[in-house]
Amino acid sequence: MDRRVAITGIGIVSPLGSGREAFGKALLAGQSGIAPLAAFSAEAFPCRLAAEIRDFQARDFVSIKNLRRMDRLSAVTTAAARMALDDAGLAITPANRDRTGMILGTAWGGTDVTVSFARVLVTEGPGSVNPILVPNVVMNAPAGHASIELGFRGINTTVNHYSVSAESALAYGAREIRRGAADVLLAGGADVLAPFYFESLTRFKALSPLQGGGSEGARPFDLRRNGPVAGEGCGILCLEPLEAARERGATVYAEITGSGMASSPAPMTGWPDGPRGFILAARRALKAAGCTPEEVDIVFAAASGGLQPDLLEAEGLERIFGTDGKRPLVTALKGALGENFTSGGMRAAALALALRDGVVPPTLGLEEPVRPLSVVVGQSVRGAFRRGLLNGISHGGTYVSLLFSSVEEES
Amino acid sequence: MERVVVTGLGTLNATAKSAPGFAQALREGRCGIGPFSVFDPSTFRTQIAAEVKDFNPRDHIPRPYPIKRMSRADLLGFAATLEALQDAGLAPFPPELAEETGVVIGGGGGGLLEGERFYGEYLRTEGRLARFSALSAVYCASSADRIAALLGLWGPKTTFMTACSSGATAIGYARDLIRGGTAPVVIAGGTEPLCRITYAAFNALQAVDLEPCKPFAGNRAGLSLGEAAGILVLESLRHARARGARIYAEVLGYGVTCDSHHMTAPDPEASGAVRSMREALRDAGVSAERVDYVNAHGTATPANDAMESRAIRHVFGDRAGRIPVSSTKSMTGHTLGASGALEAVASVLAIRHRFIPPTIHCTVPDPECDLDYVTEGAREADLSVILSNSFAFGGNNTSLVIGRFDGGKG
Repeated sequence: MDRRVAITGIGIVSPLGSGREAFGKALLAGQSGIAPLAAFSAEAFPCRLAAEIRDFQARDFVSIKNLRRMDRLSAVTTAAARMALDDAGLAITPANRDRTGMILGTAWGGTDVTVSFARVLVTEGPGSVNPILVPNVVMNAPAGHASIELGFRGINTTVNHYSVSAESALAYGAREIRRGAADVLLAGGADVLAPFYFESLTRFKALSPLQGGGSEGARPFDLRRNGPVAGEGCGILCLEPLEAARERGATVYAEITGSGMASSPAPMTGWPDGPRGFILAARRALKAAGCTPEEVDIVFAAASGGLQPDLLEAEGLERIFGTDGKRPLVTALKGALGENFTSGGMRAAALALALRDGVVPPTLGLEEPVRPLSVVVGQSVRGAFRRGLLNGISHGGTYVSLLFSSVEEES
Repeated sequence: MERVVVTGLGTLNATAKSAPGFAQALREGRCGIGPFSVFDPSTFRTQIAAEVKDFNPRDHIPRPYPIKRMSRADLLGFAATLEALQDAGLAPFPPELAEETGVVIGGGGGGLLEGERFYGEYLRTEGRLARFSALSAVYCASSADRIAALLGLWGPKTTFMTACSSGATAIGYARDLIRGGTAPVVIAGGTEPLCRITYAAFNALQAVDLEPCKPFAGNRAGLSLGEAAGILVLESLRHARARGARIYAEVLGYGVTCDSHHMTAPDPEASGAVRSMREALRDAGVSAERVDYVNAHGTATPANDAMESRAIRHVFGDRAGRIPVSSTKSMTGHTLGASGALEAVASVLAIRHRFIPPTIHCTVPDPECDLDYVTEGAREADLSVILSNSFAFGGNNTSLVIGRFDGGKG
């Protein structure tokens, strides 16, 4: 009775450009999205780098009428959602709109709007706040705006659980397609940079170079890593039942065959002691997909350059896949994309492309690995990859892993 | 597919600080809306809210649980969780259940109450003296994290934030996790604090009544904001039976839709609301004829209550006027992210204690609201299937179907 879940469309707004093609090409060429922060001044902080969205005009994707009501996060999300639908070759019609929906993960929501609203409230009082801002203060604004712009009326929900929000949304989306609660779901993640939010990250010492140790930079899995570089972007996948996708002759990038979620005790805003929670999530994903560790060819890691999370993921990968024999190739794209906390959407798109095209993009910023993993560095690597694991790991001890499989051409 | 049952309840809200107390309050039609002290509302247009009065966390969360830096939302949520686990016979929490037990929470303001205090300090000192650690729990994911961390859980954990439908979606999603065999036990619900940002936002939209809200009444003039936590222990029937747990009710299904109409105003055509109710019934495998009570979204805004009444007419046809419909928000206030979960708690209590909670303050009729709103006070009734609605900003709608557990096979 369960339906197979196909990825049929990809929408991207990212530091490596907009759209699947520009994004995929830049990743494979080993281009970095990280540069000195340009949108606002970071002079007061020890962190000056960021992976900012580039080559994006919301007007190209969103009607002016609706764009006027959107904050930047909503515009980015709506644009990526439209790209994903277009890429899938799907038009929203009265016949399909009630079974089409969106499940979005956002870690922080429209922080800029909330801060503007709070500033007026605190400094001028409740009589002066602007009611126009109110809808965009709420986390579910981006998915709501996208539904109004694009016209879909099915499931619409927003996951708001730190840096596993996007992976959780993808897992939820796949579950709903599988059980038949929807026929088309746009799922992924979106977060954007803003001044107060960036300042908060620096004040929580969440970014490279942490408290000043070493030079600033994103170095996933590297011995010299000293924190992630802040990023922004949005990746949305279009999910459909495989059978329906085949019937309408759609391109299928890959299939989502399983997901696993776990938790582990961790201090507030901190990281757990060891890899057990991550291992549980990854093994649950493998089990759900009916897949053994030996069958996994590639791993798209959550590693960002963070001290504890990279170590626990590396230790976990060793425990799951062993230290010798056939081990999967690992790549950590936050070296190029920075840490936007919902890069799971973009990384899922990259994994789907890797499975379709048989090529894995390199990890940037890695010279001396913290553990002897088979990390792809320098150049992209070709191969016939059948199965890939996507990891999401969050502070506070939350883990979501997904298993993607390549899809054989229908004979 | 596993059947999913409710085995424990916990709540703190403006009418009561326990589930049994809440049952009593609902039966009496007690209003929790009035003057409040969580912040000073004197500069706002309205001055009332539904507050959890005299909330002392340590009355509910014993030592040695550390509660430092937890937000009011976190504390309300964890307090309700401990009550629900005790009620379910899962206290102290059995270590053998720790690996697979999940936590799914619907959030709202999260730590905004603490966050806005911090932000005032930040602006006053131009960032110099503000302690950013005050923002540790500012996002609503903190509540689920605290529950899982303090209980030592390793199961799936997630947080939904879809404004006023978060809590209902959390329960529906948790039900799916159990139904599909992902987790045998899930702590599910919602938590929401009163805070100035939310209070200012709803006031700016002129969506708040100066008096306690009057759902479905002709003189209704907006909602009353409230705070609450509502937590349910959900469990597979098989698991509940194996450990000899008391079963309160069954979560039969849920539906999620969106209006695709407007960010804050409901669709006057009521299409999203109609479809979420129908989808929930379809998912539950229950025909509309079997529904014997609708726990309405019933915010008491002019637009919502007319729209929802129309939607109920649409779904139930000729029978609509004979189905009791009530808004427990007339007593608890609108608790936003928690409301769907709080109303699920109310629905389970209604099944268990065999009564229909009333809509209070509804004395002036409205031709646009022409259903049976249970305005005369609680009504004795043997309920078998309840439909509970939650409709949110962003056009996000969630309906839950909760039923009396009829025995039968697991």
